[in-house]
Amino acid sequence: MNYFKTRREFLRDMGLCASVLPFVANLPSLSFSGKSLRKQRLIILFSPDGVVPSTFWPSAVGSEFELPPSLKPLEPFKNKTLILRGVSDRVRGDGDNHMRGIGCLLTGIELYPGNVQGGGDTPAGWSSGISIDQEIKAFLQKNPNTRTRFGSLEFGVMVPDHADTWTRMCYAGPNKPIAPIDDPYQMFGKLYGQAKDQEMLKSVLDDLREDLAKVRSQVGVKDRKILDEHTTLVREMEQDIRAARTRDVGHAIPVISPGVKRDNDSIPKLSKLQIDLLVSSFVGDAARVATFQFTNSVGDARFTWLGIPEGQHGLSHEPDSNKTAQEKLTRINEWYCQQVAYLAKRLAETPEADGHGTLLDNTLIVWTNELGQGNSHTLEDIPFVLVGNGLDFKMGRSLNMGHVPHNRLLMSLAHGFGHRISRFGNADFCAAGTLPNLT
Amino acid sequence: MAISTTARSTYTLTLSFLPMAVALTLSGGAQQSPKQPEGQKLFLSRCSHCHGANGQGGSADPQPLAGTLSAKELASFIKKSMPSGPKKCPPEDADKIAAYIYDAFFSPLAQERIRPARMKLVHLTVRQFKNAVSDLVTGYHSAIPYVETHGLHAEYFKSRSRDAKNRAIDRIDPEVRFDFGTDGPAKEQFDPRNFSIVWQGSIFAPDSGEYEFSIHSRHSVQLWINGSRYPVVDGEVRSAGDPDPHGTVNLLGGISYGVYMVFTKATQGVDDTNKKNAKPVEPSFVTLNWRRPKHVLEPVPTQFLYKDYSAKSFVPSTPFPPDDRSMGYERGDGVSKEWDDATTAAALEAAEYVTKNLSEVSGIPDNDPNRDKRLRDYCSDFLKRAFRHPISDDLKATYIDKQFRAAATPEAAVKRVVVLALKSPRFLFREIGDRKDPFTVASQLSFGLWDTIPDPELIRAATTGELSNKDSVVAQATRLANDHRAWSKLRDFLLLWLKVDEVPDITKNPKEFPEFSSAVASDLRTSLELFLENTAWSKSSDYRDFFQSDTQFLNGRLSKIYGASLPPDSSFQQVPLDPDRRAGVITHPYLLSRFAYLDSSSPIHRGLLVLRNLLGRVLSPPPASFVPLGATARPDLTTRERVALQTKPEFCNNCHSIINPLGYTLESFDAIGRIRDKDHGKPVDASGTYRSKTGTLVQLAGAQDLAKYLATSDDAHSAFISKLFVHVAKQPPLAYGPTILSELQQSFAKNQYSIRRLLVDSVVATAIPSTTAMPSTRSAKL
Repeated sequence: MNYFKTRREFLRDMGLCASVLPFVANLPSLSFSGKSLRKQRLIILFSPDGVVPSTFWPSAVGSEFELPPSLKPLEPFKNKTLILRGVSDRVRGDGDNHMRGIGCLLTGIELYPGNVQGGGDTPAGWSSGISIDQEIKAFLQKNPNTRTRFGSLEFGVMVPDHADTWTRMCYAGPNKPIAPIDDPYQMFGKLYGQAKDQEMLKSVLDDLREDLAKVRSQVGVKDRKILDEHTTLVREMEQDIRAARTRDVGHAIPVISPGVKRDNDSIPKLSKLQIDLLVSSFVGDAARVATFQFTNSVGDARFTWLGIPEGQHGLSHEPDSNKTAQEKLTRINEWYCQQVAYLAKRLAETPEADGHGTLLDNTLIVWTNELGQGNSHTLEDIPFVLVGNGLDFKMGRSLNMGHVPHNRLLMSLAHGFGHRISRFGNADFCAAGTLPNLT
Repeated sequence: MAISTTARSTYTLTLSFLPMAVALTLSGGAQQSPKQPEGQKLFLSRCSHCHGANGQGGSADPQPLAGTLSAKELASFIKKSMPSGPKKCPPEDADKIAAYIYDAFFSPLAQERIRPARMKLVHLTVRQFKNAVSDLVTGYHSAIPYVETHGLHAEYFKSRSRDAKNRAIDRIDPEVRFDFGTDGPAKEQFDPRNFSIVWQGSIFAPDSGEYEFSIHSRHSVQLWINGSRYPVVDGEVRSAGDPDPHGTVNLLGGISYGVYMVFTKATQGVDDTNKKNAKPVEPSFVTLNWRRPKHVLEPVPTQFLYKDYSAKSFVPSTPFPPDDRSMGYERGDGVSKEWDDATTAAALEAAEYVTKNLSEVSGIPDNDPNRDKRLRDYCSDFLKRAFRHPISDDLKATYIDKQFRAAATPEAAVKRVVVLALKSPRFLFREIGDRKDPFTVASQLSFGLWDTIPDPELIRAATTGELSNKDSVVAQATRLANDHRAWSKLRDFLLLWLKVDEVPDITKNPKEFPEFSSAVASDLRTSLELFLENTAWSKSSDYRDFFQSDTQFLNGRLSKIYGASLPPDSSFQQVPLDPDRRAGVITHPYLLSRFAYLDSSSPIHRGLLVLRNLLGRVLSPPPASFVPLGATARPDLTTRERVALQTKPEFCNNCHSIINPLGYTLESFDAIGRIRDKDHGKPVDASGTYRSKTGTLVQLAGAQDLAKYLATSDDAHSAFISKLFVHVAKQPPLAYGPTILSELQQSFAKNQYSIRRLLVDSVVATAIPSTTAMPSTRSAKL
C-alpha cells in the first residue's frame, strides 16, 4: 500500500476541491487520548466450513510442536502463536450447526426462534445476546482513556448481500446483528471520507430530534422501542460529528488501488485491501476491536486462484475417505492462514505511535471458524488459533483444553482487557470461569 | 417476593408459592406438547395458582414469569425461595419446574416464541428506500403498463443525417441484433455505404447493480442510458481492430430506463467519398449486448425492451446493509448504526443531486422572480410526497420555514429540507395501525405492489376521499398490479419461492458435463426468468401453468444441449421440450442443475425445495452431526439407492422418509437437468410419495405426477399464498386476523388461480379490513 506524502496530494487524487480542506483537516484520530496507556487491541478473524483435523491440529502439546500443513504460513510467528484445541461450542437450541456455529460463536448464547431454515434443522432467527467483540468494545468505549472514534470496525470479504443467520457473526445485542463492510471503498469512505456535509447535518439534528419526540407520542407503546433506538442513533451521529471535529488525522491516509470488484476471483485482492485498511485504522487509533469475516458460514467461495474449481462448502461435505477433497480443503485453510500471517506481518512491521514496540505486541488475533469439521458439522474442537501479544497470553504453545465450553474463552478475552465479567452468553457454561493456563 | 442481582443484566423476578394443597387446573394449559411434562404437571399443581397457568401472573402475584436467569439459576432460586413459607420446594422438583417454565415461557427465547403476531412499526426496506428516494427526487417514473410486444422504436435513415425527410423505415425492432451484410437494412432502398439508425425506448433492469453495455459493430455507435449527458457507450470514432466499445452504469432493479442508441455507417466528418472509385462495400452488423449482474455478456433479450421512452431518474448509489430476513422475508425490522449511517449518506447524496439540478428537478428557472416562494412550494410538495400525508402548518414551520431562515442561499435551504425530510421518521418508517385513513391506504397499496411512495394518481384518490370506498381501493390496486413495477416485485417473489433469489454460481464437473459452462448457466437463468414472466405476467396469469406447461424457453446454445431443434444462433423462444416427460417449472433445467451436485443429481436438495418452498412444510430437527457417504464410495449404487442407504438409520429417516420420496420423482433428470433413463448403468426409478398436511398419502409415478400435485393441491396453494402475502405485507399474516389466508385461498380458487388477482387481493387485505364497512372520516396519522 502506498501513502500520500502530503495532504494536498491526497486532495488532488481524491478529486476534492479546496473548499473541502478545512473538513479534511478534521479527519479523526485519537493521537492524544490514552497517551500514557498501552493500547490493547483484538482482531477476530473468521473463515468458514470447518477444517481438516489431521492437517490442522499439531500432534504435540506444549511448547515443542510442529506446525501442520494448514498452519505452516504461521512459521515466522510460531513463538507468538497459541493453538487451542478442545474448545467446543456447546450452545444448542434452534438452528442448524452452521447457523449456531456462526451465531453462537462470539455470543455464546442460543439463537432466537425465527423462520430461517438451514439444512433440515429447526428454523431460527438472530442470536439472543451480544457478541464478545461488541462487549469489549462497549467496555473500552465507556472509559475516556480507551475510547476511540469507532470503537470497533467490522470488515468482511465477499459476505453475501443478504442479512441472515449465516452471514452475521457480530451482534450489538439480542436481535441486533451487525453487517460487516466487505467493500474496501465503502470502508475507506467510512474511515477517511470527507466531512463537508457534517456541519449542515449537525445543525438540522435538533429539529429532527424534536419531531422524533412528536412522532413517538403518536405510536403505540410497543412500537416506541424502535423509535427510541432511532433517537439514540441520531444522538450518536451528533457525537460522532463533534468527535470528528476535535481530532487531527495523525497518520498518512492510505492509497488503495482502485477498481477491485466484489467478485469471487477478486477475493485475494479484496482480502489484502481490507487487511491493509484494518492495519491503517489501528495506526490512526480509529478502533481497538476489529472483526474480519471471510464470506459467511456455509461460505462457498471457489478458490480458483489455487486451481480449485469447486465451492468450499460443497467440498467440505466430502467424506474423510475422499483424499483429493481433503487435500484441497487443507490448501484452502492454508490460504486463510496466509491471510492471518499477512495480517500478523503487517502488524509486526508497524511501530506503535508512542515508539514502544509494534502493533503486534499489543494486538491479539483470534482466528476461528463456525465448525470443527465440515463433513460432520461438529461443534467440538472449534478452531481457535491466537497470534500476537495483545492480551499477554503465554504464546508459542499448542494446548488441548479437553472439551471446555467456548464461553470460557470468550470470558478470557474480556478479562484480558481488564473487563472481569463472571458470565458471558449462556451462564450455564460459565460457572468454571475463564480458561486456565493461558497466561 | 423479589430478588435482584448484579449480573450482566439486572432484572427483577417475582415468584410466589402457595401451600401445596392446590387443585390441579389443566384448563388453558401452557403448551400442546411440553418438553418437560413432569415439570409442567408440578408447575400446574403447585405454582399456577399464584403465577397463572402460563406463568402470565395471577391474582396473588400479577407479575408475569419472564427473565434472563438461566435454567440452573432459576432452579436454585426456586430451591432457596419458593414457596414463601418455611417449607421449600424439594430440589428434584425445583429442577423439573425450572426446566419446564424456562422452556415454556420464562426465557427470552420462549417469550419470543409465544409472542402474539402483531403489526410492528417497521422502517422502509432498502429497496423501498431507494425507490422512494429516486421517485421523490426525479418525479414519478414513467409507468410501463403490461404489453404483449416488446422491442425498441427504430428509425432507419437513408443518410448520415437523421432528418425526417430521409427516414425510410419506422418500426419496432424486437432486439438490436442485425447482420446487414453488404446490402444495408433493405436492398435497393438504402445506399449500403451511407445510412444511419436510431433506436429508442426503455430497458427494464430486473436487478439492482452494475450493468455493462457493449455494442458489437465495426461502425460508428453510441448509446445513452437514463438520459446521461455523455454516452455510456461511445464508439463514435472507431479504429481498425479496436475492441467493441463498452461502458457500465448503475441501475435500480425493477425500473425501466430510457435508451437512445445511434448507429451510423458513413464516413465521419467531411463526406469526400468518390463514389465512382469507391472500394467494395464493407459489410455491416450491429448487436446491443449487456452483462447484467451475475450474468455473462449476451444480446439484450427482447423481453427487457420497450418502445416508450422513460424519463431520466436519479439512481441512489449509497451502499446499504441488507434487510433483516430472519423471518424468511425482507422487512424493515429494527434499526442499526450501519443502517442509520447509510440513510444519512443517502440523504446527503440525494440532497446533492437536487441542489445541483435544482431548476431541472423543481421546474423553477434560476431567474424566476418568485423563486424563493416557488421553492418553498416545491419543498412543501416534496415533504407531502415523502411523508405520504398532507403537511400541517406546524410541520411546514419546522421543516421548511425554519430551514429557509437558517440557510444563506435558497440552494442551501433546499438541501437542508431534503436531508431533514429523508432523515425524518415520517419518511423512514411505514405508517401503521390506522387502516381507515385514506392516505395510509394509498401507502399500503403503493408499498405493497411497487415498493415505493404513492404516485400522483393515488395521492389524488386519497385526497378526494375515493379511497374510503372498497371498490375504488380494488380499482387502484388493479391499476398498480398492471404496471411493470408490480411485475418486478412479483418476479422477486417467484425467485424467492423457487429458492434462486440469490444468483448461485452453478458449476459442473467438466469431465462429465463438458458442454456445461458459465454461459449455459447464465442462459438457463434467463430461460427460467422468461418462463416465469410468460406464465405469471400473461393474460390468464394462471398459477397452475407453472406446473402444467409443456414448453420452455431456449436459445440456440441451450437447444443443442437439451435436445430441441433450433438453429445455433437463435434468440430465446418458447419451444416444446420433452412434452411427455417434463412438466413446467419443476422440471426446468435451471432448478434441476441448481439443486444437484457437481456430478450427480441430489434427491435431497430437490426434495427439500419441493417440501419446504412449494409445499410449505417445516421439518423437525435431525441429528446434529453426520458424515456423508461419497458417491465414489459405492459406485455400484444408483443415486437413489445411495441416498436411501445413507439416510436409512431411524434418526435420519424421520425426515428423510418425507424429503427423499419427493426428490426421487425428479430422478429422471441428471445433474444438468437432461432426461436420463439410466443412472450408474441401472434403470431410473422415479416413483415417490407424499403425505399431505391432512394425512392423505399421494402416490407419484414421476415428475409429471409431482407437477400435477403441485398445480392442484391445497398444501401447494396455501404455501404459495402465505409466502406471497408476507412478501407484499412485510408483516406476519396473523396480524391481519386468523382467517386472512384461508379467505385468500378461497378467492384464489374462485378466480381461476390468477396470480395477478391474488396479488391484488393480498394488497387490498393489507390496506383495508376485510369485512367491516369503511367510514370516510380521516383520522390521526403517523
